[in-house]
Amino acid sequence: MNQTSPSLRPPPLARSRTLMHPGPFNPQRIQSRHCDRSRHFRLALQPGLSLYDALVKPLAERGVSSASVTLLGGHLDNLEFCVAQPDPSGRALIAYTRPIQAGRAYMIFGNATLGKDAQDRPVVHCHAALRTEEGDIRGGHIVPQSCRVSGEPVTVLVTALEGFALRVTFDAETNMSLLQPQPLVHHE
Amino acid sequence: MNNTLAVSAARVESGSMGRVAYARIAPNEDLVQGVEKLCLAEGFKNAFVRGALGSLVDACLGTLDGQYRRIQGPAVEIVSLAGEVRAGSDGSLCASLSGVVADTRGRVYGGPFVAGANPICMTFEVTLEEWLPDPQQP
Repeated sequence: MNQTSPSLRPPPLARSRTLMHPGPFNPQRIQSRHCDRSRHFRLALQPGLSLYDALVKPLAERGVSSASVTLLGGHLDNLEFCVAQPDPSGRALIAYTRPIQAGRAYMIFGNATLGKDAQDRPVVHCHAALRTEEGDIRGGHIVPQSCRVSGEPVTVLVTALEGFALRVTFDAETNMSLLQPQPLVHHE
Repeated sequence: MNNTLAVSAARVESGSMGRVAYARIAPNEDLVQGVEKLCLAEGFKNAFVRGALGSLVDACLGTLDGQYRRIQGPAVEIVSLAGEVRAGSDGSLCASLSGVVADTRGRVYGGPFVAGANPICMTFEVTLEEWLPDPQQP
């Protein structure tokens, strides 16, 4: 890089692409909320439970319905994950593929968001890197209801979000329902 | 790329954690600059990423020789992300983000995200924890 001086040299980066979504552009590009203090929990996900149940139930018992979760490594049976590809239906730009079977897999690490769907049911949105039963290293969107904690408990760090709720809400721009921070409603 | 991480690792900074912010950042916004703007929106000067997931149109990761590797989407999923935001003495905010992404077939790649070259595809969810350095450190 240093041997050549010309400042006219084009930057080495490929220019990033701006993609057109099906819905109207939302001028608010960052939807953010904060809490002044956050409760943290160390949670051991119990073997035999689905990733969903192992996360949702103990947190619900402590009044946590919105949280950001870091998953440390651990074994999961029947792990299914999806990747994101162009939506063949054309309704949205991208859709998750059908679940890919990783079998008895090892979750290397992951991140999850706990929120609620439109019917107030808990939702876990989880992405992780994993080693499949065949030994391949893969990553994607984990189906939290399908996989089961196996062997040792899986440790997670939970950052509880309070004073607002994460709720799956329709997003017109992408034509998809997505987790978004929302004000609390009365019973929350 | 910046060397904020390397410089600050040379000394110990004491401090405490402050507020926690969660954001959804919209499509076509840049990942790195989006996190910086989230700090502007929330008034955070220094922060650590506590959790993040989402997707990119294409990903651009720095390599050891100062070059870049582009991972073709859409979409490229962010499966893990670590990083921090630091306030500079020149009045700027600088996010340094590093992570692992998965392509449209689930193959994984890792490295530092190049600022300005990682447009968000559908959504990006991020949780930041404010870092409050103790005053009057050497």
